[in-house]
Amino acid sequence: MATVRITFSGLGKRFGSRTVLKGLSGELRARCVVAVTGPNGSGKSTLLNLLAGVMRPSSGSVSYLATDTPVPRHRWHTLSGVAGPDMAVYEELSALENLRFFARLRGLARTDGELERVLADLGLAARDARRLVATFSSGMKQRVKLAQAVVHEPAVLLLDEPSSNLDETGHDTIAALVKSLRGRAAVAIATNDPREMAWGDERIQLGN
Amino acid sequence: MSASSLATEALAVFAKELRSELRSRVAVNSIGLFGLTTLVAVAYQIGPYQIHEQDRPHLLAAMLWIILFFAALSGLQRVFVKEEDAHTAKTLRLAARPLAVWAGKLLFNVALLAALQAFLVPLYGVLMGMQVRGVVPLIALLAAGCVAMALTATIVAAIIARASGSGTLFAILAVPLMLPLLVMLIAGTRVAMTSPRWSDVLPALQGVGALAGVTLVASVYLFPVVWHD
Repeated sequence: MATVRITFSGLGKRFGSRTVLKGLSGELRARCVVAVTGPNGSGKSTLLNLLAGVMRPSSGSVSYLATDTPVPRHRWHTLSGVAGPDMAVYEELSALENLRFFARLRGLARTDGELERVLADLGLAARDARRLVATFSSGMKQRVKLAQAVVHEPAVLLLDEPSSNLDETGHDTIAALVKSLRGRAAVAIATNDPREMAWGDERIQLGN
Repeated sequence: MSASSLATEALAVFAKELRSELRSRVAVNSIGLFGLTTLVAVAYQIGPYQIHEQDRPHLLAAMLWIILFFAALSGLQRVFVKEEDAHTAKTLRLAARPLAVWAGKLLFNVALLAALQAFLVPLYGVLMGMQVRGVVPLIALLAAGCVAMALTATIVAAIIARASGSGTLFAILAVPLMLPLLVMLIAGTRVAMTSPRWSDVLPALQGVGALAGVTLVASVYLFPVVWHD
């Protein structure tokens, strides 16, 4: 897996006349967890969307560098994994079918056993893996959402409120996931949960 | 990334669409029921004997494509609207290249329209007493029409997916874009009913092919812009 660094400078985003982010600069480095915090509406999710490339900035720029070589924007999705509250997986597919689909989109030929292990690591039992997502609780759906974000072992992981809808066990599972990624990936977590903030080596405070 | 990986991704999107549709059957029910209801109403009111012999090719060709067109309108727009409604669009945007998404959705719309044609056209032929002298040219015209209509419907569906009142907007955008296509398909079908010669249907086929080509090129350039913010 390539070591990836994301740099952003002068980053701004406007929605109509409303400015959400202005002149934000910084970077995400491999083996570093950044906690993005701030009050509601301060632009935490917007920042993650800009870093993921799913949204274009109104000003400034975002760059992905794989061992200091710029990565073209159309390749960002192969290096990053994203999970957020405004995302969903397919309810008419099983958890395993969802994961198989997202793995294929990323050019991975994973066996069902390997995919079941990814789901198991996030606390979904093998019997649940073959059930339709439509029958899942919101916490179980959140686990499948996180699984699609990490199925390709991304070099960059962007998590927006990762513990939402999860119980204490689920929170521990996310903590273990972040711990396992800390050694190799660049991780950004948008959160206002003090426990999740504590996972961060660095902090970006928005809304000041 | 290579063209083969793009094809693999597009096939993955197509397979996902097919699996989802086989489980929910929303588009199939919508298109099938609309097509069947319209066909039965037309067959009941007009049938094979209410039209003068000299008017038959004109009217039967026009009614066939009008039924296919409106049945298609009722279901083809769903491919992108359902992703936005279910909040899966962002997940898909972050996992696949735009062209793979577009190609997979297009393949699904082509399959849906082909299934509609396979179900409706023979039934229409029987109920309306439609006699076709150029069967093979008509099949070619149906295939070309299927691809051209799916191409137009897919890009319009992508454009309107994030808008409120997307159903109305789809019709407003799709009707003027498909009108020239329909005119050519109706003209070609009328000719295929009266003549077995390829050369007679060729101008209509070339026109449909040209429109499909223009829509294809426009879609390849337009879709990535429409799909992303």
